[in-house]
Amino acid sequence: MRRASALAFVVMVVAAPWLVAAAVPRQQRYVLHVLIFTVLFAALALSYDLVVGHVGSLSLAHPAFFGVGAYAAAILATRARWPFLADLLAAVLAAAVVAALVGVPLFRLTEHAFAVGTLGLALVASIVANNWVEVTRGPLCITGIPKPVLGLPGGPTLAVTTLPGYYWLALAALAAVVLLYRRLTTFRLGRAFHAVRDNEPLAGAAGIDPLKYRLLAFTIGAALAGGVGALYVHYLSVMCPEEMTVALTVNLLVIVFLGGVGSLRGVLVGAVLFTALPEVLRLAPTWRLVIYGGLLLLVVVRSPEGIESLLRRASGARAGR
Amino acid sequence: MALLEVRGLVKRFLGVTAVDQVDLAVEPGELVSLIGPNGSGKTTLFNCVTGYLAADHGRVLFRGRDLTHVAPHRVARLGVARTFQQVSVFPRLSALENLLVFLQQHQEEHTLARLIRTPRLRRLEVEAVERARRLLDLVGLTDKADAAAGSLSYGQRKLLAFAAALMPDPDLLLLDEPAAAVNPTMINQMKSHILALHRQGKTVLLVEHNMEVVMDISQRVVVLDHGQKIAEGSPDAIRRDARVIEAYFGR
Repeated sequence: MRRASALAFVVMVVAAPWLVAAAVPRQQRYVLHVLIFTVLFAALALSYDLVVGHVGSLSLAHPAFFGVGAYAAAILATRARWPFLADLLAAVLAAAVVAALVGVPLFRLTEHAFAVGTLGLALVASIVANNWVEVTRGPLCITGIPKPVLGLPGGPTLAVTTLPGYYWLALAALAAVVLLYRRLTTFRLGRAFHAVRDNEPLAGAAGIDPLKYRLLAFTIGAALAGGVGALYVHYLSVMCPEEMTVALTVNLLVIVFLGGVGSLRGVLVGAVLFTALPEVLRLAPTWRLVIYGGLLLLVVVRSPEGIESLLRRASGARAGR
Repeated sequence: MALLEVRGLVKRFLGVTAVDQVDLAVEPGELVSLIGPNGSGKTTLFNCVTGYLAADHGRVLFRGRDLTHVAPHRVARLGVARTFQQVSVFPRLSALENLLVFLQQHQEEHTLARLIRTPRLRRLEVEAVERARRLLDLVGLTDKADAAAGSLSYGQRKLLAFAAALMPDPDLLLLDEPAAAVNPTMINQMKSHILALHRQGKTVLLVEHNMEVVMDISQRVVVLDHGQKIAEGSPDAIRRDARVIEAYFGR
C-alpha cells in the first residue's frame, strides 16, 4: 500500500508538466517556472543539509560554492563554448576544489567561529563576483548562456529547450542528489557523520577522524551546490552577482531548519513549501510578505524542530491507533 | 616489555602543573587502578595517553610505540580504548548503532568506497551486528537495541559506553570512573564485568573514586596527589601508606 502510494507520487511528480497544462493552461509557463525553481532549490537544500544536518557544522558559505559552480559553467559555456555536460562537470569539480582548500583552515574554527568564518567566505565570494570584472563581468552579468544540450562527443545529442524538458532535467539532477544523499547519510558513512555531529571527542575514541568526515561532507555538499549552480545558469541564461548573496543562505536556512534538519523528507517538504509558497501568495500581493512571515513564525513557534517533526508525530499517532 | 609505559609525563595548564613527572607502567594482563583526590591529575593523565591533550614533557609508549603526539582516532585504532567520566554516548544513534560505530573504523576505513555496499562490506556489517548484540546481552541492554541512546537512563548509558569501548576488542582499556554516580547494584555489575575482562587476559587501567571497588579488584594501585605520584603498590600496602592517608584525610 505504501509502495503504491509512493509510486503514484513519483508518477505525479514526473507527469507534472502535463498535469499543469491540463489544470491551468493559461498559467502553464509560470507554474512550470516555479516548479523548476522548487526542484533546483530542493537539490541545493539537500546539498546544504549534508553539512548542517549530518556533520552539524553551521556553514554559511553555501552561496559561495553555488556561485563558483554557476560562474565556472557560465564562463566555460559562453567564452570557451564547452558542451553542457563538460561545463557541468567542471562546475562540480571547481566548487569541490575551492571547498577542500578553504575547508582545511575553516575547520580549525569551531561552532560559532566556524559559522562566522564561513560567512566571511560568502561575503568575499560575493565581492569578488562583483568586482573581478574581467572574469565575471561584475554587475553587467554574464549573458547568453546557451540552453543545455545533452550528449557525449560523437553520439546523438538532445537539446533541452522547452520548459517541460528543463523541468525533467532538473528532476533528474534532484534524483541523483537524493540518491547520493541517502547513500552518504545511512549505513557506515552516515553513522560516522552522525557520530562526529553528536559527540566529537567520543567519535575520536571510536577511531573516527572528525576533521576528515567534516571536510568530506563539506566538500561533497559544495560539489553538489556547484552542480546546481551550473543547472541554474543554463536555465536562466544569465549569471549575476546577486544570485550568490547572503539572501540565498537565509533561504537555505529557512528551508532546512523549518523543513527538518538532517531529514530527507523534511528538507524536501521545506523546499516545496518555502519556494512555492511565496509564489502562491502572489495572489494576495499586498499581504504576501506579511503572510509569509507569519507562516514562518507559526512554524517556529509550533514546531521548532521543523515540519518533519510534525509529520513524524502525525504518522506516529496514526500508527498508534 | 610493559604494554603501556608513561615516562616523566608533565602537563601544565596556564602555570598549574596538572601532571608532574609521572612514571607509570602497565604490564600485559594487569588490572591497575589510578586513585587520588579530586584534581590530582588522573583524568589529565588519561587525556595525555589517549591523544586528547599534548603532554608538555615526557613520553607515552604503547607496545614501545610513541603515542605522545598521536591523534585520538589513531590511538584508538592502535588498540587503546577509553571511556569518559561524563557518560558519553551518541544520543541520536540507537544503542545498537552506538556499538557498531565503535567497530567499523577498525574493520575497514575506505571512506568513499563505503558508498558502494560491496558483499565484503555487508559481511563485515553482519559480523559487527552479531558482536554488538552479544555485548548488549552482556550488559543487559538486549531490549534497548533500537532505542535512541539519549533516551536511556544514566546507568544504562554508562553500561552502553562500556560495551562500546569493548566493541573493537581493545588491547588496553582505560576506564574513567565506571562506578561513579550509579546505584549499588550497577556498581556490582560493573565490578564483575571488569573482573571478567581481567580473567580473559585484558589489560585494564582504571580511574576510580569508589575505594571499595578499587581495593576489591585491583592488582596494583597508583596514587596521584597534586599531579605527582606519591605511592604505588598492592591494595593492602596502599591502605596502610602514611602519605596516602595524609593526601586523603589531611594531617
